[in-house]
Amino acid sequence: MINELIIIIFAPLIAGIIAWALDVKGVREAIGLIGAAVPLAYLGKLYSTVLNETVNYSVTVSGFTLHFQLNTMSWYFAAVASLVGLAMAFGMASTSKSSYDWLFALMSYTGVLGVFLSQDFVGFFLLWEMMTFASFMMVVRRNRHESLKYFVLSVIGAYAMLVAIGILYAKTGALDFATIRQALYVDASIGAISTAETALIFGLFLTAFGVKAGAVPLHVWAPGAYSETDQSYTTFFSGALSKAGAYGFLLLYILMGYKLYAALGTFHGHLTFAYIIAWIGAITVVVAGFLAVLQEDIRKLFAYSSVSQVGYILLAFGLGSSLGFAGGLFHVLSHAVFKGLFWLVTAAIILQTGKTQFKDMGGLAEKMPFTFAMGLIAVLSLSGIPPLAGFASKWLIYEAAISAHMPLVAGAIFLGSGIAFAYVVRFLYAVWFGQRPSDLEDVKEAPLPLLIGMAILAIPNLLFGVAPGIVTEYINKMLGGEVVGGDYYRLVTPTGTYNAMLVTIALVIGLAIAGLIYLYGARVRKIRVTNTYQSGNPVTEEFNLSIRKNFYRPLAEALDFWLKYSWDRFYERLAGMTEDFADSLRQAVYNGNVQSYSWYLAIVLLILALWGVL
Amino acid sequence: MIDWKLVLEVIGMLIYATFMGFIFMGIERKAMARIQRRVGPPIYQPIIDTLKLLGKKESVTHGFIYDFGPIFALGASIAALLFIPLAGFRLFSASADLIVVAYLLEVPMLGIMLGAMSSGNPYSAVGVQRGLLTMVAMQLPYGLALIAIIQHWGTFKLNELVSLQQAQGWSILVPALFLAMIVFDIVFQAMLGLEPFDIITAPAEISMGPMVEYGGKHAALLFTQHAVQLFAETAFFAVIFLGGASNLIELLIKQIAVLFIAIFVASIYPRFTIDQAAKFFWKWPTILGIIAVLLTM
Repeated sequence: MINELIIIIFAPLIAGIIAWALDVKGVREAIGLIGAAVPLAYLGKLYSTVLNETVNYSVTVSGFTLHFQLNTMSWYFAAVASLVGLAMAFGMASTSKSSYDWLFALMSYTGVLGVFLSQDFVGFFLLWEMMTFASFMMVVRRNRHESLKYFVLSVIGAYAMLVAIGILYAKTGALDFATIRQALYVDASIGAISTAETALIFGLFLTAFGVKAGAVPLHVWAPGAYSETDQSYTTFFSGALSKAGAYGFLLLYILMGYKLYAALGTFHGHLTFAYIIAWIGAITVVVAGFLAVLQEDIRKLFAYSSVSQVGYILLAFGLGSSLGFAGGLFHVLSHAVFKGLFWLVTAAIILQTGKTQFKDMGGLAEKMPFTFAMGLIAVLSLSGIPPLAGFASKWLIYEAAISAHMPLVAGAIFLGSGIAFAYVVRFLYAVWFGQRPSDLEDVKEAPLPLLIGMAILAIPNLLFGVAPGIVTEYINKMLGGEVVGGDYYRLVTPTGTYNAMLVTIALVIGLAIAGLIYLYGARVRKIRVTNTYQSGNPVTEEFNLSIRKNFYRPLAEALDFWLKYSWDRFYERLAGMTEDFADSLRQAVYNGNVQSYSWYLAIVLLILALWGVL
Repeated sequence: MIDWKLVLEVIGMLIYATFMGFIFMGIERKAMARIQRRVGPPIYQPIIDTLKLLGKKESVTHGFIYDFGPIFALGASIAALLFIPLAGFRLFSASADLIVVAYLLEVPMLGIMLGAMSSGNPYSAVGVQRGLLTMVAMQLPYGLALIAIIQHWGTFKLNELVSLQQAQGWSILVPALFLAMIVFDIVFQAMLGLEPFDIITAPAEISMGPMVEYGGKHAALLFTQHAVQLFAETAFFAVIFLGGASNLIELLIKQIAVLFIAIFVASIYPRFTIDQAAKFFWKWPTILGIIAVLLTM
């Protein structure tokens, strides 16, 4: 009898390998879909078990004991990932034409599930690397430069983590989470690990998880990697894989929260280390948000937006209060479903039009009404319109940020949500409305599998929006206490309330009244888009009436000073300098001159002589 | 089962708010006229205007979203209104707090933008762009002002805000919150779409911006929406800074006081350009807001 946890983790990988090996059109899609659906099915089956007890499984490989556990928290993350994974598989059935994509997409799915379920650093790191490698392979096929940027940063992150694990292992002698946690807890009072070492471990983990979460200034890989791949895969890449970083921050709390508190102390009443995380999150929200507004490419816009939204999660975790964790965990779910939906919509647009630039698109709402409706749900959820899932989670983060007495961080979220409004409207305007370029006249609605994938993600947006209590009830169980009160439709915190159902009802009442006024008025006549006011002048089809380029030019001008500095350019320059240095080193040392090599020998001998060896 | 008293209150309040909103619009026009030494239209003029627009024989449309935009905007305004404690009428205000109401008050903007964008008119697009940039710009000081309020009173609930203020004095009597009020008042000007921040509609500059294509019943919907929104926003101001009210007359006096400040400012300042507005919002109101927030910590 194979353990269920092993099935959950490795089903996608096995399906991916079979799909890759068979490579028969139709069959590989079916196998891939089954492989993607299995984890969700098993997680669903284990739901009631997890609430009462943990499910454990250990296996010894090459002398290491890998320990997997399904507890309330890992179940939550795994369920979110597998929901997005299933939607991705449906999307890929339409957009992907090669078995290569299936292999690596499903491999990264396995990696992500393994990261969430691992209870020791061996399994965690192995599957973390598998996840990185597979996602790199998805990008490298389309763009070498962007993929290498992603890979180098990921490797820096991963090896920073390896060093941190090494130090922890040297200090505690353990690799499994439970023992490390216990050892560090005890050490907080003894102080065998010095403050500097603790800070070093913290910094290394921060780098490792910051890269995956796309925290500023380690976000530069995200716009390239998110856009230069199959957009259906990006659903998973940005919807679930970026959560591995967020999960890492949570792990940091679980493993060394108390030790970090003891070592680094507090800063104006906040935990110092948490305060750092909160500010990284706040800066990420604002910087990535502004960059998203100024993009001219649909994929780049959503890439930056994804970075910005993950910033909310980090920020919420950084607040350090249980309400903050509840908000962050809720946002993990809502970001996964709305951003996954966005990427599927993008996949549909790119599949049907073959274009990615805003300047080439417009007026697609009439051609792809269902995709448009899904896109609208995603827009409303992301910009936090009650009653959708995005609002409920943001509301919790607002409450938590202000209650935790971090007003400037809370101010950053206010700014961030205003920016989010601006960039989603840019997307709506440029893609769906206005004049349709003549070469888009024969665009058709997205294919059925893609639409199913969208529906899978749209339903949670609506369901958890109207009934956010379903999620918070589970989060309460995860956090072990009544953090967010209320019932299915009502969220209650110590300071505020939000009744999603009543807001929905009020909105429906309002819409009904407005609709009645509309119906009372005279009948309407539909006219063409070009039949419009142009200072009283006639307009024909040749005029381009839609503003498709540089839509937010005044903002770019207002931010002129800040846009002069770019992390992207900084890293490019750093890479260039390293390359030049390597070049000059090669030319200086390996110069082909026999006499220089004998001089090296002489110098080494001299050193040895001085050392007293000879 | 159904709470008939609540139903009646909701209906009554909606009618009252819409009517008073129109009167506020009339007051605005009348006061502006007096400031410029004109007689001005009668105070009920906006009602006549709206009825005229509703009576048009034909409306044009550019598609489903074009119709849906104004409806959504009015619907969201009505929803926002229902969650604000209006004097003795608490309606649904126990079920949503300050953050929810602040968000709901911004949703109508999205509705208007949505409809305007689908018309495909370049003036609308410029208006939408300016609207969103104004929103991005004003969001930071707006947020800071709200945070200052919440930190001082320690609650997000509007009903509690009102009762705390009635017990301990109005918000604006606290020095830090007075600063927050100044910030909020500057932002308020932009929320109401009045000079110097009437950048969104900017009549004479981009021919009414988002509303340029709307006529007939769509325009009537937008007028109604503006009336409800005006009432809701002034009431929101009164609730969080002026201690709410115990009866509708008191509320009305406070609302009109707030409105008059806005009108006086609007009638003597010319319009900002959009980049000036962004830079302005990120300078003085933000600095004041940060000071207010730090003082309330």
